[in-house]
Amino acid sequence: MSMRKQTPSDFLKQIIGRPVVVKLNSGVDYRGVLACLDGYMNIAIEQTEEYVNGQLKNKYGDAFLRGNNVLYISTQKRKV
Amino acid sequence: MADEAEQQPSTNTVEEPLDLIRLSLDERIYVKMRNDRELRGRLHAYDQHLNMILGDVEETVTTVEIDEETYEELYKSTKRNIPMLFVRGDGVVLVAPPLRVG
Repeated sequence: MSMRKQTPSDFLKQIIGRPVVVKLNSGVDYRGVLACLDGYMNIAIEQTEEYVNGQLKNKYGDAFLRGNNVLYISTQKRKV
Repeated sequence: MADEAEQQPSTNTVEEPLDLIRLSLDERIYVKMRNDRELRGRLHAYDQHLNMILGDVEETVTTVEIDEETYEELYKSTKRNIPMLFVRGDGVVLVAPPLRVG
Protein backbone atom coordinates (compact mmCIF):
# COMPACT_ATOMS: atom_id res chain seq x y z
CA MET A 1 0.00 0.00 0.00
CA SER A 2 1.46 3.37 -1.02
CA MET A 3 2.04 5.80 1.82
CA ARG A 4 3.52 8.83 0.13
CA LYS A 5 4.05 11.95 2.13
CA GLN A 6 0.56 13.36 2.60
CA THR A 7 -1.27 15.49 5.07
CA PRO A 8 -3.92 14.02 7.38
CA SER A 9 -6.62 15.83 5.40
CA ASP A 10 -5.49 14.08 2.22
CA PHE A 11 -5.81 10.78 4.03
CA LEU A 12 -9.31 11.66 5.21
CA LYS A 13 -10.41 12.45 1.67
CA GLN A 14 -8.97 9.19 0.41
CA ILE A 15 -10.66 6.81 2.78
CA ILE A 16 -14.24 7.92 2.26
CA GLY A 17 -16.27 4.96 1.05
CA ARG A 18 -13.91 2.39 2.50
CA PRO A 19 -14.48 0.00 5.38
CA VAL A 20 -12.93 1.51 8.48
CA VAL A 21 -12.33 0.88 12.14
CA VAL A 22 -12.98 3.81 14.41
CA LYS A 23 -11.74 3.55 17.96
CA LEU A 24 -13.05 5.93 20.57
CA ASN A 25 -11.20 7.25 23.61
CA SER A 26 -13.45 5.03 25.71
CA GLY A 27 -12.07 1.94 23.98
CA VAL A 28 -15.23 1.12 22.04
CA ASP A 29 -14.68 -0.01 18.47
CA TYR A 30 -16.88 0.81 15.49
CA ARG A 31 -16.54 -0.94 12.16
CA GLY A 32 -18.36 0.04 9.02
CA VAL A 33 -18.17 1.91 5.74
CA LEU A 34 -17.07 5.51 6.09
CA ALA A 35 -19.82 7.73 4.69
CA CYS A 36 -18.22 11.08 5.46
CA LEU A 37 -16.26 13.03 8.01
CA ASP A 38 -15.18 16.60 8.73
CA GLY A 39 -12.22 18.49 10.11
CA TYR A 40 -13.29 17.87 13.70
CA MET A 41 -13.26 14.12 13.06
CA ASN A 42 -17.03 13.97 13.37
CA ILE A 43 -17.81 10.77 11.48
CA ALA A 44 -20.76 9.24 9.69
CA ILE A 45 -20.53 5.48 9.20
CA GLU A 46 -22.87 3.07 7.43
CA GLN A 47 -23.58 -0.52 8.44
CA THR A 48 -21.87 0.05 11.76
CA GLU A 49 -20.99 -2.63 14.25
CA GLU A 50 -20.06 -1.76 17.80
CA TYR A 51 -17.43 -3.84 19.59
CA VAL A 52 -16.65 -3.67 23.28
CA ASN A 53 -14.47 -6.68 24.10
CA GLY A 54 -16.96 -8.94 22.27
CA GLN A 55 -19.68 -7.75 19.93
CA LEU A 56 -22.27 -5.59 21.62
CA LYS A 57 -24.76 -3.92 19.33
CA ASN A 58 -25.37 -3.81 15.60
CA LYS A 59 -26.35 -0.46 14.20
CA TYR A 60 -27.81 -0.44 10.75
CA GLY A 61 -27.99 2.65 8.64
CA ASP A 62 -25.98 5.70 9.59
CA ALA A 63 -24.20 6.23 12.84
CA PHE A 64 -22.70 9.62 13.72
CA LEU A 65 -19.74 9.82 16.03
CA ARG A 66 -18.76 13.04 17.73
CA GLY A 67 -15.20 13.91 16.81
CA ASN A 68 -13.82 14.65 20.26
CA ASN A 69 -14.38 11.02 21.26
CA VAL A 70 -12.46 9.61 18.30
CA LEU A 71 -9.04 8.15 19.06
CA TYR A 72 -8.29 6.96 15.54
CA ILE A 73 -9.76 6.09 12.16
CA SER A 74 -8.17 3.20 10.34
CA THR A 75 -8.93 1.37 7.14
CA GLN A 76 -9.51 -2.35 7.42
CA LYS A 77 -9.10 -5.11 4.92
CA ARG A 78 -12.38 -7.00 5.04
CA LYS A 79 -11.70 -10.74 4.94
CA VAL A 80 -14.95 -12.50 4.10
CA MET B 1 -15.63 24.84 10.42
CA ALA B 2 -11.91 24.04 10.75
CA ASP B 3 -10.86 25.05 7.25
CA GLU B 4 -12.63 25.76 3.99
CA ALA B 5 -10.22 23.82 1.80
CA GLU B 6 -11.67 20.47 2.84
CA GLN B 7 -15.45 20.50 2.56
CA GLN B 8 -17.77 22.94 0.86
CA PRO B 9 -20.10 24.88 3.20
CA SER B 10 -23.11 24.57 0.84
CA THR B 11 -24.53 21.15 -0.01
CA ASN B 12 -22.92 20.81 -3.43
CA THR B 13 -20.89 17.64 -3.48
CA VAL B 14 -19.76 16.03 -0.20
CA GLU B 15 -21.96 16.40 2.84
CA GLU B 16 -20.62 16.69 6.34
CA PRO B 17 -21.74 14.27 9.03
CA LEU B 18 -23.78 17.12 10.52
CA ASP B 19 -25.68 17.52 7.25
CA LEU B 20 -26.70 13.90 7.51
CA ILE B 21 -27.94 14.44 11.06
CA ARG B 22 -30.18 17.13 9.60
CA LEU B 23 -32.00 14.36 7.74
CA SER B 24 -33.01 12.92 11.12
CA LEU B 25 -34.75 16.12 12.24
CA ASP B 26 -38.21 15.42 13.60
CA GLU B 27 -37.43 11.71 13.58
CA ARG B 28 -36.88 9.52 16.58
CA ILE B 29 -33.19 8.93 17.23
CA TYR B 30 -30.96 7.01 19.55
CA VAL B 31 -28.16 8.89 21.33
CA LYS B 32 -25.32 7.25 23.18
CA MET B 33 -23.75 9.49 25.78
CA ARG B 34 -20.84 9.45 28.19
CA ASN B 35 -21.31 7.93 31.63
CA ASP B 36 -23.17 4.94 30.19
CA ARG B 37 -26.29 6.84 29.30
CA GLU B 38 -28.59 6.39 26.34
CA LEU B 39 -31.41 8.54 25.10
CA ARG B 40 -34.26 7.73 22.77
CA GLY B 41 -36.33 10.66 21.64
CA ARG B 42 -37.50 12.89 18.81
CA LEU B 43 -34.88 15.25 17.47
CA HIS B 44 -36.27 18.78 17.35
CA ALA B 45 -33.04 20.75 16.99
CA TYR B 46 -29.29 20.43 17.03
CA ASP B 47 -26.20 22.51 16.38
CA GLN B 48 -22.54 22.04 15.46
CA HIS B 49 -21.67 21.20 19.08
CA LEU B 50 -24.29 18.47 18.96
CA ASN B 51 -26.31 20.33 21.58
CA MET B 52 -29.77 18.89 20.96
CA ILE B 53 -33.38 19.42 21.82
CA LEU B 54 -35.12 16.10 22.22
CA GLY B 55 -38.81 15.59 22.79
CA ASP B 56 -40.57 12.63 24.39
CA VAL B 57 -37.30 11.21 25.68
CA GLU B 58 -36.54 8.00 27.46
CA GLU B 59 -33.18 8.06 29.26
CA THR B 60 -31.48 4.80 30.21
CA VAL B 61 -28.65 4.85 32.76
CA THR B 62 -26.68 1.62 32.99
CA THR B 63 -24.68 0.76 36.08
CA VAL B 64 -22.56 -2.23 37.02
CA GLU B 65 -22.55 -3.40 40.58
CA ILE B 66 -19.76 -5.75 41.50
CA ASP B 67 -20.25 -8.07 44.45
CA GLU B 68 -17.25 -7.74 46.75
CA GLU B 69 -17.13 -11.43 47.53
CA THR B 70 -18.28 -13.25 44.42
CA TYR B 71 -17.05 -10.56 41.98
CA GLU B 72 -20.33 -11.02 40.21
CA GLU B 73 -21.23 -8.26 37.77
CA LEU B 74 -24.78 -7.11 38.20
CA TYR B 75 -25.96 -4.85 35.36
CA LYS B 76 -28.72 -2.48 36.30
CA SER B 77 -30.45 0.02 34.11
CA THR B 78 -32.59 2.88 35.28
CA LYS B 79 -35.03 4.55 32.94
CA ARG B 80 -36.89 7.80 33.15
CA ASN B 81 -39.12 9.73 30.79
CA ILE B 82 -38.68 13.42 30.02
CA PRO B 83 -41.12 15.37 27.84
CA MET B 84 -38.61 17.95 26.59
CA LEU B 85 -34.86 17.88 27.06
CA PHE B 86 -31.86 20.04 26.22
CA VAL B 87 -28.76 17.92 25.76
CA ARG B 88 -25.35 19.58 26.03
CA GLY B 89 -23.26 18.43 23.10
CA ASP B 90 -20.04 17.61 24.88
CA GLY B 91 -21.68 14.57 26.49
CA VAL B 92 -22.75 13.07 23.18
CA VAL B 93 -20.83 10.11 21.82
CA LEU B 94 -23.00 8.67 19.06
CA VAL B 95 -26.23 9.52 17.23
CA ALA B 96 -28.17 6.99 15.18
CA PRO B 97 -31.67 6.07 14.08
CA PRO B 98 -33.38 3.96 16.78
CA LEU B 99 -32.05 0.42 17.02
CA ARG B 100 -34.10 -1.95 14.97
CA VAL B 101 -33.57 -5.64 14.26
CA GLY B 102 -32.65 -6.26 10.61
